[in-house]
Amino acid sequence: MPSHLPLFSRRSFLTQACGGIGGLALSHLLSGEGRLLGATLPGPGQVGTHHAPRAKNCIYIYLEGGPSQMDLYDPKPKLNELDGQPLPESMWKNMRFAFLAKESARIMGTPRTFRKHGQCGMELSDLLPHIGSIADDICLIRSMHTDQFNHVPGQLLMNTGSAIAGRPSLGSWLSYGLGSENRNLPEFVVLICVGRGVPGGSASWASGFLPSKYSGVMFRNEGTPVLNLDNPAAISSAMQRRTIEGVSRLNALHHAEVHDPEIESRIAAYELAFRMQAAAPELMDLSGESQATLDLYGVDRTEPKIEGGNQLGGTGLFGTFARNCLMARRLVERGVRVVQVIHASWDHHSRINTDLPHNCLMADQPIAALVKDLKQRGLLDDTLVICGSEFGRTALGENRPGSRSVTGRDHHPNAFSLWLAGGGIKGGQVIGETDDLAWNVAKDPVHVHDLHATILHLFGYDHTRLTYRFQGRDYRLTDVHGQLVPRLFT
Amino acid sequence: MAPAVLRASRCVFRGMWLLMAVGGWAGRAAPAVDFGRDILPILSNHCLHCHGPDEKERKGGLRLDTAEGLRTPGKSGAVALVPGRSAESELYLRIRSPHEDEVMPPPKAKKALSAEQVAVIQRWIDEGAVWSRHWSLEVPRRPVVPDPVGGGTALAHPVDRFLRARLEREGIPPSPEADRRTLVRRLYLDLIGLPPEPTTVRAFVDDARPDAYERLVDALLASPHFGERWGRHWLDLARYADSAGYLNDTLRPYAYLYRDWVIDSVNRDQPFDQFTIEQLAGDLLPGATLEQKIATGFHRNSLKNDEAGADLELDRVKAGVDRVATTGAVWLGLTLGCAECHSHKYDPISLREFYQLYAFFNATAERDVPAPRPAELAEFNRRQAVWEKERDRLEAPIAQHATTLVETGVPAWERELSLPKTRWVVLAPEEVTHITEDEEHTLPVNEDHSITTGVKDPVRSRYVVKVPIAQPGVTGFRLEALADLGAKVGRSKGGDFALAEFSVMLKTPAGAQEKLPLATARADFAAKSGPVENVLDGDNTTSWTIAPQTEATHVLVVELQAPRDFPAGSTLYFELEHRLTGVLTRFRLSATSAALPLEASTLPDAVLAILDTPAGQRSPAQQLALARHVARFVDAKGRELHRPLAAHYGKQPDFPKTAAPVLVTHPRKTRVHHRGDYRQPGEEVEPGTPAALPPLQARGPRADRLDLARWLVDPANPLTARVTVNHVWQQLFGRGLVATPDNFGALGERPSHPELLDWLATEFIRLGWSRKQLIRLLVTSATYRQTSVGRPDLAERDPLNRLLARQSRHRLEAEIVRDVALASSGLLNRTIGGPSIHPPLPAFVMAFGRNRTWPETKGPDAFRRGMYIHLRRNVPYPMLTTFDASDASVACTRRERSNSPLQALTLLNDPVFFACSEKLGAELAGQPGDLEARLRLGFERCLGRAPRAAELQALHAHHADQLALADGDERLAYLATARLLLNLDEFITRE
Repeated sequence: MPSHLPLFSRRSFLTQACGGIGGLALSHLLSGEGRLLGATLPGPGQVGTHHAPRAKNCIYIYLEGGPSQMDLYDPKPKLNELDGQPLPESMWKNMRFAFLAKESARIMGTPRTFRKHGQCGMELSDLLPHIGSIADDICLIRSMHTDQFNHVPGQLLMNTGSAIAGRPSLGSWLSYGLGSENRNLPEFVVLICVGRGVPGGSASWASGFLPSKYSGVMFRNEGTPVLNLDNPAAISSAMQRRTIEGVSRLNALHHAEVHDPEIESRIAAYELAFRMQAAAPELMDLSGESQATLDLYGVDRTEPKIEGGNQLGGTGLFGTFARNCLMARRLVERGVRVVQVIHASWDHHSRINTDLPHNCLMADQPIAALVKDLKQRGLLDDTLVICGSEFGRTALGENRPGSRSVTGRDHHPNAFSLWLAGGGIKGGQVIGETDDLAWNVAKDPVHVHDLHATILHLFGYDHTRLTYRFQGRDYRLTDVHGQLVPRLFT
Repeated sequence: MAPAVLRASRCVFRGMWLLMAVGGWAGRAAPAVDFGRDILPILSNHCLHCHGPDEKERKGGLRLDTAEGLRTPGKSGAVALVPGRSAESELYLRIRSPHEDEVMPPPKAKKALSAEQVAVIQRWIDEGAVWSRHWSLEVPRRPVVPDPVGGGTALAHPVDRFLRARLEREGIPPSPEADRRTLVRRLYLDLIGLPPEPTTVRAFVDDARPDAYERLVDALLASPHFGERWGRHWLDLARYADSAGYLNDTLRPYAYLYRDWVIDSVNRDQPFDQFTIEQLAGDLLPGATLEQKIATGFHRNSLKNDEAGADLELDRVKAGVDRVATTGAVWLGLTLGCAECHSHKYDPISLREFYQLYAFFNATAERDVPAPRPAELAEFNRRQAVWEKERDRLEAPIAQHATTLVETGVPAWERELSLPKTRWVVLAPEEVTHITEDEEHTLPVNEDHSITTGVKDPVRSRYVVKVPIAQPGVTGFRLEALADLGAKVGRSKGGDFALAEFSVMLKTPAGAQEKLPLATARADFAAKSGPVENVLDGDNTTSWTIAPQTEATHVLVVELQAPRDFPAGSTLYFELEHRLTGVLTRFRLSATSAALPLEASTLPDAVLAILDTPAGQRSPAQQLALARHVARFVDAKGRELHRPLAAHYGKQPDFPKTAAPVLVTHPRKTRVHHRGDYRQPGEEVEPGTPAALPPLQARGPRADRLDLARWLVDPANPLTARVTVNHVWQQLFGRGLVATPDNFGALGERPSHPELLDWLATEFIRLGWSRKQLIRLLVTSATYRQTSVGRPDLAERDPLNRLLARQSRHRLEAEIVRDVALASSGLLNRTIGGPSIHPPLPAFVMAFGRNRTWPETKGPDAFRRGMYIHLRRNVPYPMLTTFDASDASVACTRRERSNSPLQALTLLNDPVFFACSEKLGAELAGQPGDLEARLRLGFERCLGRAPRAAELQALHAHHADQLALADGDERLAYLATARLLLNLDEFITRE
């Protein structure tokens, strides 16, 4: 297969693959009918945008578990001043927490230091020096809020717009709207860096009631990216190719008898499967990347030892996470519309001052590298990068009954931080403010639905009109909510 | 009868209307506008959002979904509708208004009407504005079966007469009957989901008897695999899964009991009305059997969130809402769930009515009842009998010895005994919650009001016991840590426990909450390192422990700071927090109003009661009971004799753990939740059904689930029979008569053949709700037997095949794709029922979930049918997802049929399918005859027909090609040929 192929631009790759072995043979097969293969595959922009889009691709970095905003994005000097003090009862009385005993919980300070970055002077924690270096490209929202304080409902809301399972994910809505630019790879790819596992499982990238082709396809980090992409050991690639030709030949013969267009789709699907098999090794092969690029992402970094291991984020993942970020760029380059990069977990109920720095050391450099790399390749204008999670964490230390010491923070839905870059986002700005303890939003609240509405807007869709009828109702990502946040892009 | 004539003429009329629409008969007088067909859909899609059933959203006081509303002046005083005079009707004036601030729908709603829509509304008003209810809310009346002109005697079948009459009106000829090979394969796939053997195909082809087809149908309806095939369709509706979803995705290892029930019920053709009643209310039937209770597992398939700190009440409410929505989708074809937060925008279901339906399910609780399978029970009984025999042998000398104690031993003991003064009232818990760091579960309560903790409950466990109480002057409480014969009192390795904190919370009848002040704790015994005071010290790192006395019952009593009256309606919440070492094995709570100090005596209440009876008045049984007590706890010889017995009790066979998830009645009041938020309760409502449907007949003063279930299957209910025959129709013809099987409401599609739908609905009831007879009726029609070959004339006129001028051709469902591959290759294990299987799964697929155990099924069980694959909600089996299996989040009334490269990769490379290729290849290679005979055999086994010449040629070419590429390896070449066959479109298609 294409080991002999040079690195190519998207256009030449497409041409090559379309005219490749499978394509040639198959078009020959059906030439009698004068049909163009692949005609039944959805073309790009199948739903039709409502206005001119600013973004064409989306890379969504999902740091599962709820990273601590006051240790990363939202400096709160008051936190250290009030360390060990109780919070006024009015602030916690009607709230639920996963673990902390609210009556006896105390404010917990942070050892983190913040400094200003970039021309815009965005304040970020010492754990994010690399993200600091792209401050002028990113728009940081400090006033995110959500309705859910448990992981799965929170993730479902953040990733599907509803806390109830069964709705299409953000990525599925986007690929439903946008269609595919690539005939060799799926429209929506999910790259997972498994530490502790994703609580909601596949619900975060599933297509819900949308057809399953809009579902995210999970890629493995190494070796063969997609399940069943490898031929069984006994089957050589020549045998595979000829088998697909044979299958299609017989399918074509049957098509001549029963005239069902589904058979044409089946032939096209087999051809695409073969092209996927052919394209995958090239996609996964990083040997064409320059050393400078590999270093930018930190693919070969050595991971420092962490005492007791990284309890949540896992260890041994520095290389994987960096490769996933690089892979996200490679996928977008090859026409994949939506890439979700997931790492679990940032759910620091304990050991926050050891585990969070370790996670950041892993993630900070590759994420920043991705934005820089996209920018220098001219892809950032078209590519929206989102970096977020389902909620934030409490200013209160988590005094979980039964724990000996307080070393972490509990889930916090009232206020959290999240950032975006590229794809029409106006960088170098901070939206929203929280109160002195990052407990409640003090200014310019942005609800998850508002974020979704704005993301769809960037892709050319009016969130109230990108709908899909299911059970007799027109469903949308934002349900009946969502206000645009124009400051994000103007 | 006049209506029949009228109806017939309307049929003709409608035919003309369609012909016009299709052929464009310009210039003729247009037929009358039909409100239901022409007007209501416009109102539903464009107007009812603001002028519909939802009183909160209603604008201008105008309601357009009722005849009354249309004729009542709105807030402006204008009348929406003046029949016969569009120019005076506000409705018409507003929809055609040129002014932006006046036109309806308002421009910002982006729901503007087309010129045609405005015109048809005008015509409707001018023709008299005849209003009718939405079609599906009227009880189906049995229409006269039409007589198509060209029918003749061949068209005896009523289904055909309806469809042909329509086709005739459209001027479309039907398709000829499919060939017999196609028919037998179609029937096999549709009725049992397995392909026919080549011998079966040939036998049918050669069967010249006139009723050969009907015989085949009957044989398949009688096959035990019929229940699997049609049971799986039902499991889609039941959102069946083997786990609970959400973070923990807790496994439901016995969910399969419900699946087995469905298969069995379908196989014995349980009438659909009974099938319905048992699933919704089997527990309420007089003398309910275990199987009828298992049927209620239908509504135990709701998702459940047991993540730490989760709002359990919210989750319970959401499960109730899911049960209403599912019931609506499955039986009524109504989107009831839309009315959870506000009155339905399009259908007549108010917010209040939603909560009346919710009240039926709100008054339930989830239980897991022991449901050992017959084989498990037989094995247990066998072991139990052996055990009991030995127990009797060991008990005989004890009983013997006890009789000798009655005369002297007992009185001697009683003389020495200082009788405790405190007497106790055992408290009957209402709910027991077990809370750990990550989860909460409820625990069952034993008949003696004690609570047995879980064998694996972690050290850090809290038990919250909710107890209703009505008792004056309570002075304290007792906790009995019970040690049964042969068992330890605690669950640590050594049998110790560590109770860290004991507290009691009071909820008064008025709802006020208070932590009761406890003054003193006392125990019959405490280890030096674990004094009893620790349970009240507010420090959960210190505990009451009892080592080394691990084999005895222990008692903790706590005194209230001051006596308290608990009036009726009071509730106590006891909290037992554990730490460091094991939890209590079994415990029970009591209260007393006795004078202080309260004594911590381990004398059982039953023994105390006898001791309170003067010696002379005790019955022989009571005397013997005392003797047994003395023999067990006091007398040296008796205790010696108990030793082997205790050891024997330690070896008691475990009762099978198999427990069925069921619903039981649990009375609760229901209030309307404003905006669907249970924290905003509104008026209280009684269980009830929507007013737009026929009234509910309750058996008692308050309707229950059994009444609801019977109401659903009452022939007066306009929806259930229609919805159900539509489900069946959809499976056999590829598309429902109503294309939105879950929505028969205003926004759903109208039926393609309304009269046929109504005829079938009434026929289904006439057939005694027999699923098998309904299916028999449908598959014996000529319409079903038509060929599915595509026709150029239909491709343009009826691309969706609504008129059924041919059969539909469609890809098999996910599970059946697996089944045909396993069956055709000879690998299939046809065992029916039982626990789910875990076929091999690559580690990286499991890795993204939190619940990662996947005990891979080995041996022949690994090749069981697809419907038995363990369905874990968070980590669905990829092959099933790839082929569009339902995700079990909500009722799935219609599966997608996608066509994707991942499907190709699965059939080509998935290890299960590759194993099928290997098996089939090896079988072909081992067959007698030459290559061509083997190729023919393989083709016939997979597709049920002989290859055509060109196909045979292609097979030869492929085989030769693969043989060459495989360097002459014959085995591999046959494998490659089998692999080709298993990948053909026709192989995974029902033609």
